[in-house]
Amino acid sequence: MQNKFTKLILAGVFGTTLALPAFGDGHSYGPFPITLKGYSGDKTNSVSYSGQIARHVQHDSLKKLAGSGNLPEMMAYFKGSDKNKKILAPASKGDFKIKQTLLNEISSGKNLSGKSYKGLVNGWPGGMTGVEVLEHMINKAAEHGSAFDPNTGYNYPQLISKFAMGAVFYNQAVDNYLDEKLGPDNKPNNKPYKDGAYYTGKEHSWDEAFGYWGAAAHSLNLTAEQNYNITKMKDMAAADHNGDGVVDLKTEYNFAHAYYAASYDKGGKTDYFNTVTQAFVDGRKIITAANGEALTNAQRSQLYVLRDIIGQNWEKVIAESVFKYAGSVYKDIDKLQTIIEANGDTTKAFATYGKHWGELKGFALALQCGKNNIGETAVKLNRMMGFGPVLLNSSQVTGVDSNGNFIKDEASGWDEYKLHMLKIQKLMVDVFAVKARANDQLANISDLSAKLGGSNSAEND
Amino acid sequence: MDLLNFLFLDSLYEFFNPKKRIFIGYLLIAVLIAAFWLVYFRKLNLREAINKIFDKKILFSKSAKSDYLLFFINQIIMSVISPVLITQLAIATALFYYFHSVSWLDAGVWNNTPLVIIISAFTLFHFLLEDFSKYFVHRLMHKWPILWAIHKVHHSATFLTPMTVFRTHPLEGVVFSLRSAFTQAISISSFVFLFGPQVDIATILGANIFIFAFNIAGSNLRHSHIDISYWKWLEYLIISPAQHQVHHSVLKQHHDKNFGVALAVWDWFFGSLHHSEKIENLKLGIHINQKEDTHSLRSLYFEPLKEIILIVIKPLTKLKQILKLIKFTLIGVNR
Ligand SMILES: [Zn+2]
Ligand SMILES: [Zn+2]
Repeated sequence: MQNKFTKLILAGVFGTTLALPAFGDGHSYGPFPITLKGYSGDKTNSVSYSGQIARHVQHDSLKKLAGSGNLPEMMAYFKGSDKNKKILAPASKGDFKIKQTLLNEISSGKNLSGKSYKGLVNGWPGGMTGVEVLEHMINKAAEHGSAFDPNTGYNYPQLISKFAMGAVFYNQAVDNYLDEKLGPDNKPNNKPYKDGAYYTGKEHSWDEAFGYWGAAAHSLNLTAEQNYNITKMKDMAAADHNGDGVVDLKTEYNFAHAYYAASYDKGGKTDYFNTVTQAFVDGRKIITAANGEALTNAQRSQLYVLRDIIGQNWEKVIAESVFKYAGSVYKDIDKLQTIIEANGDTTKAFATYGKHWGELKGFALALQCGKNNIGETAVKLNRMMGFGPVLLNSSQVTGVDSNGNFIKDEASGWDEYKLHMLKIQKLMVDVFAVKARANDQLANISDLSAKLGGSNSAEND
Repeated sequence: MDLLNFLFLDSLYEFFNPKKRIFIGYLLIAVLIAAFWLVYFRKLNLREAINKIFDKKILFSKSAKSDYLLFFINQIIMSVISPVLITQLAIATALFYYFHSVSWLDAGVWNNTPLVIIISAFTLFHFLLEDFSKYFVHRLMHKWPILWAIHKVHHSATFLTPMTVFRTHPLEGVVFSLRSAFTQAISISSFVFLFGPQVDIATILGANIFIFAFNIAGSNLRHSHIDISYWKWLEYLIISPAQHQVHHSVLKQHHDKNFGVALAVWDWFFGSLHHSEKIENLKLGIHINQKEDTHSLRSLYFEPLKEIILIVIKPLTKLKQILKLIKFTLIGVNR
């Protein structure tokens, strides 16, 4: 504590002369001092993103409920509720004790629906906006009453969860807080974010984006493995940074895409988690160093550089997920074909296939909720994936009728669909240069190609 | 200068790469086999044998010296050309995609085959496909005038040394690269498609075990003056060093024989097999009284190009004459 305090003072004195001013231990998102001019309250830390954490918790709880068939409950987490709702997930598990049990202990009056993507979603039938698609999925989940519907192949918890992460968190961060709200005329740094706030416009905009990213405040001090295990609720020591015996969801837990980033990074080929989280920390330092004055153009362009690093790597994390689950779907079809050939029971394997397909679809839709229109890539992705997985009788959801009910029609064959999965993997490599490549169905081919090695010398035998 | 230095070192690396014919270990084994052959079958004493193996007149002949030069120069040329050639990975991926769209082919049908069998089958299949495709392309190199123009560079060697493998025109290098890319792609894509992701190749020191066996059996002696022959029955199956030397002979009866690399069966099946013969000092090269100039760099690199141009132009001049004739008959004036 003493040490941190000295560092803070030193940072205040020398901070402005350094390229990246040092606040805190340099590896944590906060605490950062109050810089708002004329603030006379007793707050000492200007960091605030509890509203985003509340939405993460609403999302996790909604996912948990999505197989229950309880529409009012689902809607209470999606659209918000006057009641102080219980946190269904993440909830304590064994030694892994969660500090908060009720939503309002984090933040009250929040919802997911108001912050969902308003643009058209082409990858889902019905020509609906992001928020309408989520509502449609929730209604269908309630209608069906359990997680997996073999009739359509849809796994609702996966579809809802993976799409919501893109339609709410990713979209709000990269297309709102790191976009418009970073501009010179929007949420200026020499004014409070809103009347009565103790943080400036830019401080809070940046904090909100960080909150949506989902990383724990101290996570840069941990390995990818540790960050991954926090979400898996397997590493209490890594999570409980302040050592109070409970995990504070507001600062000590990894949510959503941050968790997926850690899951890829632990393979050693990528560093998405640290790259994005460090960029957030660095950007917050720049804003803090402005000390409550409006940002200069130079400061803003520094933030733009960091904002781009965040956006590009966040997008890659989602693309890695599309890559991974396209590989899973390929393998699942392989398994199903083997079982069918042996006249075995496909029930379990088919449900697994539906689960992975739901993740694939959700992430693919999420990828289309970013700041930039991914254009041709989205068209190809949606066409190759279709609106639904190819079912055992070779049919597939092809649209919805005027009542919002799914219509099915004849689909291409299994092998053709497998080919589409391969092409989706290739698309992710070509467009987003994904590196972790979990479940790479072409890995064997590239390994063997490298092993046999091209002949690059002119030689007669 | 740094680049040249780098390429020079890169070339020397070939001597330490067990995937390469001129790996120092294979060369050493070849010397031992040659010494054994000369002492036990040719009844020379060890000193005579050593003198014969390292015959200065051959190793420092004009022919051999140009082999050494081509080894270095081609390395530089190929380092520029190979990056733009299509890779086995690109072809294999395309084929793998294609197989998925063939309705009567099922991906992963033999997924549950035991690993030993998958690896053995892949290793053997790939070796056979490689060896056959080499036979086939080599045969074409002799039969098609344009290809023969470039393959002639290899046959212009009047003395054979292990380094003669590098006496190859860069254009022939391109042909061989493409052959290799296509065969690898066929083996890889079809096996991965049918047997799934566990496909692997059995190797020793990184080389396909069959290629390894071929190399430790004295493959370097194919291009040498040590005329090791096998029993007649074995020469139906495996090409002996003496049989490849016959391939390089100037004698008419030896032309277009023994195209094979490791296996003789292809030559046997397609009627181009020729057994080794006991001929003292077999004359090697393209024809008798070959000009010394054929060993010059200018001739080795540019003669083939000149010849190809002539082959291409010939029909064009004929066409011109025909056009003239048409004009003459139509207009009636030959001016
Ligand atoms: Zn030869
Ligand atoms: Zn030849």
